[in-house]
Formats: sequence, C-alpha cells, structure tokens
Amino acid sequence: MTDPYRSFASARPRHYLYALNPLSKLVAVLPAMAALLFTRDIMTPLLFLALALVVLVTGARIGRRTALLLGVALPALIVVFALGFGAWTDPAAALRSTLLPGGLFGASADTVILQLGDYRYTVAALGVGLATSLRLCSILTLSLIAGLTTAGPDLVRSLVQNLRVPYRFGYTALAAYRFVPRFGRDLEQLRAARRVRGSVVRRGPVGWVGRSVGMVVPLLAGGIRHAERMSFAMDSRAFGASRHRTERYSVPWRARDTVFVVILLLATAAVFVLSSR
Amino acid sequence: MTDAFIPAPEVPQTSGPRLVVDGLRIRHDGRHRFSPDGVTFTLRAGEVVLLMGPSGSGKSTLALALNGLVPHAVPAEMHGSVRVDDIDTRDASVAALSERVGMVLQDADAQIVTGSVLDEVCFGPENLSLPVPEILRRAEAALRRVGLWERRDDNPDILSGGGRQRVAIAAALALDSDTIVLDEPTANLDAAGADDVYDALAEIAADGRHTIVLIEHDLDRAVRIVDRVIVIDRDGHPVADGTPREVLAGRADELHQLGVWLPPATEAGRRLRHAGVFDADEPLPLTGEELTAALDAVPRERALPSLPAPAAAGTSTPASASASARAVTAATSAAPEHPQPAVVLDRVSVTRRRTRIVHDVSLTIGRGEFWAIVGVNGAGKSSLVQTMVGITAPSSGRVRVHGFDPARTDARRLSEHVGFVFQNPEHQFVAHTAFDELAYGLRARRVDESTIERQVTGMLERFGLADAAHVHPFLLSGGQKRRLSVGTALIAGASTLVLDEPTFGQDRERSDELLDVLRSLNRTGTTVVVVTHDLQLAVDHADHLAVMADGRLVEAGTVDEILGDEAVLERNGLRLPPLVRAFQAVTAHPEWRQVRRLDQIAGTAGHGAGDHGASGRRADP
Repeated sequence: MTDPYRSFASARPRHYLYALNPLSKLVAVLPAMAALLFTRDIMTPLLFLALALVVLVTGARIGRRTALLLGVALPALIVVFALGFGAWTDPAAALRSTLLPGGLFGASADTVILQLGDYRYTVAALGVGLATSLRLCSILTLSLIAGLTTAGPDLVRSLVQNLRVPYRFGYTALAAYRFVPRFGRDLEQLRAARRVRGSVVRRGPVGWVGRSVGMVVPLLAGGIRHAERMSFAMDSRAFGASRHRTERYSVPWRARDTVFVVILLLATAAVFVLSSR
Repeated sequence: MTDAFIPAPEVPQTSGPRLVVDGLRIRHDGRHRFSPDGVTFTLRAGEVVLLMGPSGSGKSTLALALNGLVPHAVPAEMHGSVRVDDIDTRDASVAALSERVGMVLQDADAQIVTGSVLDEVCFGPENLSLPVPEILRRAEAALRRVGLWERRDDNPDILSGGGRQRVAIAAALALDSDTIVLDEPTANLDAAGADDVYDALAEIAADGRHTIVLIEHDLDRAVRIVDRVIVIDRDGHPVADGTPREVLAGRADELHQLGVWLPPATEAGRRLRHAGVFDADEPLPLTGEELTAALDAVPRERALPSLPAPAAAGTSTPASASASARAVTAATSAAPEHPQPAVVLDRVSVTRRRTRIVHDVSLTIGRGEFWAIVGVNGAGKSSLVQTMVGITAPSSGRVRVHGFDPARTDARRLSEHVGFVFQNPEHQFVAHTAFDELAYGLRARRVDESTIERQVTGMLERFGLADAAHVHPFLLSGGQKRRLSVGTALIAGASTLVLDEPTFGQDRERSDELLDVLRSLNRTGTTVVVVTHDLQLAVDHADHLAVMADGRLVEAGTVDEILGDEAVLERNGLRLPPLVRAFQAVTAHPEWRQVRRLDQIAGTAGHGAGDHGASGRRADP
C-alpha cells in the first residue's frame, strides 16, 4: 500500500506530471476511460494503453517498483486476463463476433487451441478475452497517470479549491487514511490471538467466513473508539470552525493544465479516428 | 472533611478569571452516576494545575468539559457550568472554544490528521482561517518551543512516541489558546519520551501566560511543574484544592484513604512517618530530592532501630544480591523444584520483512520466577516474547517453553503449559459471555461439561468476576476485561504466563491492580514474564529484569543487579524509578540505599501496595 501523504518535492522538472494540478490529470483521462467502456475491439484499448505508457514514461519518475509494475506486472495481467476471459466467454458467441476477421497469427478464428470433451477454446474466444483484458488494463494504466504522480493531500486540496468540495469531507477522508495501517496492525494481533487461544481451525470458505465474522466485532470496536478520539482531537483544533479554511498550499489551475488536458483530449479523439479505420 | 476547600493561592489580579467551573456534574449516557459531581474551581492566568482522583472519579470527563467536548461531542448530561474567558461552553462550539482551550489527549496516534509535522501544527490555525504568514509564524514558534522545528518536514509516523506527543502539544500551542488541558500525555511513553514532553511542558508552564490543566499518573514529574492540586474522590466529589504542599504533603493520609495516588516520595515519607522514622510534624517530601534530604536529616541513632527488615524482598547487600534474590524466589515460590526451566531462549533472532528486530538473545527463565522485560518503545520486547508462544517463529536460534518448541507445537497442547495475554484484551475474546470465554479453551479439548462448570466457576471467583459470568466480554470494565484475559490464558492449566505490555494505555491504578494479580499468581507458583516500558512498575513487582535495546538483550538479572547499574539503564533510554533514585542518593544511612519499593518500608502492615488494588476492584461498575 502506498503512502497517501508521500511527497513529490524531490521530483525533477522534466517529470512534468508531478507539477500538474491533480484534477487536470483526472479530467484529461476520464473521457478516454469512459469511452473505453463502450469499445469492443482490440485496437482502441491497445492504442490507449500505448498512449498512457508514453505519458507515464515521459512525465513520471520511473523507479524500480514502477518499472516492475509497468514492465512485468502489467503484461502478465493482460495475458492472464485474456486467457481467463477467453475461457469464460460463450464459445458460440465468440465465433459469431467479428473481432478477428483475419484470425490471429495466421490461424483462422475457428481454430481450436484446446479441446476438453465438448468444450472448445477457439482463437475467437481468445480474441474476445484479449479485447476485454486490454480494455480493463488500459483503463487501469490511464488511472495510473494520476495515481502514481499525485499526493493524497494535493488531490483533496484541489477538490476543495477548484471544485468547491466542502473541506469537511475532504479532510475527513484524508484523516481516514490513517486508519488503514492501524486496522492492519489490529488484524495481525487478532489473528495471532486466535491462534494462541487454540481456535478450532476450520478450513475452506465456511471456516474463512466464520473466522472473519468473529474478527469484525473487535475490529469495529477498536476502530470506532479510535475514530471517536480522532474526532475529539480534530474538533479541539477548530475543525469546522468556519465555512472556509486557509489553504497554505494553493493548487491553482495553470495554463499548462489546460494544455495537458487539450493534448490528451485531442489524442483521445485521434485514437478513435485511427482505430475506426 | 469540613475544610475541604483550601482557598487557591492568590495570583496577582491582572485580569479576570480565565476558567470558571461552577457546580459541574456530568453523567454519561447509560450511566447511573454523576462523576464529576459538584466540582467548582476558578483558574487564573499562569496557574499550572494537577487534577487528581482515583479511577472512576471523572477527571478525564472533567477535562473534556473544559473545551466543550462535553456536552457538544460526548453524549452526556451536564449540570452546572464551565465558563472560558466569560463564555459559557454551552453557548459556543468546540471549534470556537479551541482558540481559548487547547487539548492534548493520551493517544498521540489518534491526534494526528495530516502527513507532516508542519502541516499537523498548521492544521488548527488553518481551520481558523488565519492568513498564511500568521499561520507559519505560529507554527514555527510552537515547533521551536517543543524542539521539533528541525523535523518539520518529517511524517509524524517516523517520530518517537514522545515526539508525536510533542507534535500534539505544539498543535495546541499554535491555536494560541491561553489554556492547555493535557489528559495523561505520557501514559504510553517510555521514560525518554516522558522527559521530552516534560521538558517542553516545563518551559510552557514557566512563561506565566498559559494556564495548564494536567491529568498525570507520573506524579514525580508532574509535581515539579504544578503550583496547584485539585482532588476529586471516587464518587466525583471535590475533596481538596490547594498548593501541592498543602494538599499532597498536608493531607497525605486522607488522600491515601480515598485511593488517590501520591507522588512516590510523598508516599514513602508517609510510610516512614508511620514507621516512626519521620516526625509527625515534619512536612512530607514531594520530590525524590526532598525525600533524600529528609532521610539524610534523620539522626543515625533514630534511624537504625526502625530499619526495614532485611527479609523483605530484594533488600540485601550488593555483594550477595544475586544469591539472596534467588533465595527469596525459591522461598516464595510454592512450585516444587523443577529441573526444567520454564523458558529457554538460545541465541534467538527474529527477522520480519527483511529487518532483524531481535538479535541473538539468550535467556533462561526458571520456574516460579517473575521477570519483567523492559526497554524503550520499539526495542524488540514484544517480538521476543511472541516467540515463546509460537506467534513469531525465530529466524534462527532455539526456543523451549517447558521443553516444547512453541513454533512446532499444537496451540492447544501449548496452552496447557504457557498462556499469553495480549496488549488489548479485546483482541483475544472470542465468546459472548465471560463464562463461555473461559470455557472456550476447555470445550476445544472436549472436557466434559461438569468439569468445565467447576473449573470456570473457580476461575471466575479467583479473578473477582463471579458477578459478571453472563456479561458480554466487551461490556466489562477495563479492569475486568484485563482479569478475564489473564483467566483465559490460565484456564487450560498453564503454569507460565507471558504478557505483552498489559498496562499500555491503562491508568496507574489499573496497572497496579493487574500487577498485584500477577504477583499473587506468582506466589502460588506461576512463572510470569511481563513486557513493559514502565520501569517503576517492573521494579515494584518483578524479581528479575531483562533490559532490551535495539533488539538486543543488554542485561538480565535480579532487580538489584540491574538497578545497581544506572549507566546501563540511562544508555538504553530508561530512567531509574524516582524512589530507587532517592534512596540510592542517601548518604547518611548507607543501609537505606537498597530500598527499591514501598512495601520494603517497615511498619506499614495493612497499608501495602495491595490495598490500592483492592479498592480499585471495588470501584469497577
């Protein structure tokens, strides 16, 4: 889990994504993400995936973890999803689709890759799987443009400053992030406590549900108490004193934000023109 | 108690009263009793006030009423009034009052909202819609005052506990409120962290402008900065109000009867007076230094006849400290001599997420011994004891508990030998009543119901829970939960009990009550291993200490051996408990230097530390 409070102060100017308003990064990719939901082909998501990768590689600092994420985890995810969705799809419907009119790698659409009794995994089914997989993964990669380069507080600030979201919601949401590691620690303790008590370990999903339900009450009890103390602390520090609060950091909408949004919207349009041919 | 109200010391009347509490009575929703019940006092600029009272006296509730959290945020019924700078707290929001009253609570983690020290301190002034330059000016002044300006860009998470609590104090200062209320600000801190907090507090207290209201269990530190003490009794009624010397030293016996904790030096003086060492008309000491001076002033010929009996636990000459402590252990232990030690750790290391958190620890704990594992927060104490019950497997080395390897032994089998009590008792509750909670471990072993009935009933009685047998464990009081968790650890017949920071987040009274339970278990033969960051608590109850720092075992031995080496303790972030320090500094009576704990002071039969625990138990609702 990444730290929502991480700072990008050390980012170099070449990595332009960090210097953009968090909202511009969201606005620029939202139309593409929405449009992708309605595509069915392979080319459109593939082009968007390439576009997102180009933006990330040019605009973000690619560390070891990000490199592994984009270079290893993402392709692996695409392949796994493609195979999985391919198996899940209705083989007959897949054959009727026109996704791969010329087949794949010279094999025609009705070529059977794998046969188990009556079930046939065809090239067409794989095509459907690949299209779905690329659709999901391109949406994911587009969201990384904002996700990898935006600090939580900056997003809250821009929502409050540019979109006039009431600060009470924004900052409460931010404070709630602090619960995550605490819940993690509590859960670890609970699991250990149950092991030590010699809890009867039931295997399988029924056992898992039983164990989880048993841990919900103590987790919630702890969480509610923590939330109460936190709300006392926030109240005691004038949270909600007036309708507006001073923002020490302004997150303005600059010319470069408009430029970024326009470029990405043009690119989105271009992708649709290209892929429809 | 006719003279219950000693007039508060007169402060020059430069301005009107800052805080007026008038006939305040508060009853939490769902409770029957008002506490506090009828408290009245007036605070002026520059006063530093210690608010005292036993558990259940409502002192924390009173603190929450001072900035309007009661009645605005806490569901409670409130009578009487609280006026801050002539504003009735009922007529103003908590947010508006925060400019006048700052609040610092016990749990530093629950007070942090943002991601950097500077942002955290700016959070309050930002909410007040102040201009940015003013916010930064205040934040810088507040952070410099607590010594954290250099760390302004850090995430509060990476600060120590004392550091986070200082951030909370700076955040209160930055609101520029004239009154600051602190509720147990050092309860979860180790000694080094508490020193940091008190250094900051002493400086704020000294400026003459801030009015400070303090609730604190560490009275030896608190008494050095306060100039007024207000005491509430167990029923929430006000009992005393005056200077520390008038209230604490002047009415020590009365407060003791009420179950109010006295500073360690005052309590020692009180016992010495009963023992005939101090004259009845001599004022009781408040700090360790005063205790040392008072002891040195006792004429030699008078002191000698009433010395504590050397048979008391741990009182021995340094030369034979080890041998005699072992003899005491053997004598008090009812367990038959067992050739096999309770716990053997042999070069144990623990690695978690590629970080080594325990390095090469070797330690042998004999049957029937009472060990405290002490060290600053994060020294690896918890990880070490978790290897004793198989929660954590050592990355190298050997662990044996009653001859078993905990990591490879079935949990049910292991729990017949060793019980483990977690920091938060709620984490280990699995059943819906206290009875079922205790029966759980037995049912898992398919013990027949009549035996279960008998054993569980016995256990409930032993821990004073007979009335609570059919109450949901979560609805028990804090002290009851704690005792139930000890009971569940022992029900399967474990004769070794391991406890991980059982006193964390509890007040001193509850902590002492629990440690008394452990001591009586130990007397009947149970081996006890307790992890704590509170050295005083360890010295008061344990017979052996193991000091850990940075994952290593720095020193292990009898309490006397360890306390004899102050340098080692200091170097590892621990401080000698005030009582031990005061007695060690005595020059006129070398025999007295060995006094470690209050119950070693003779002539106090019937007034031992145990009666605090007993009265605390009665107070459980």
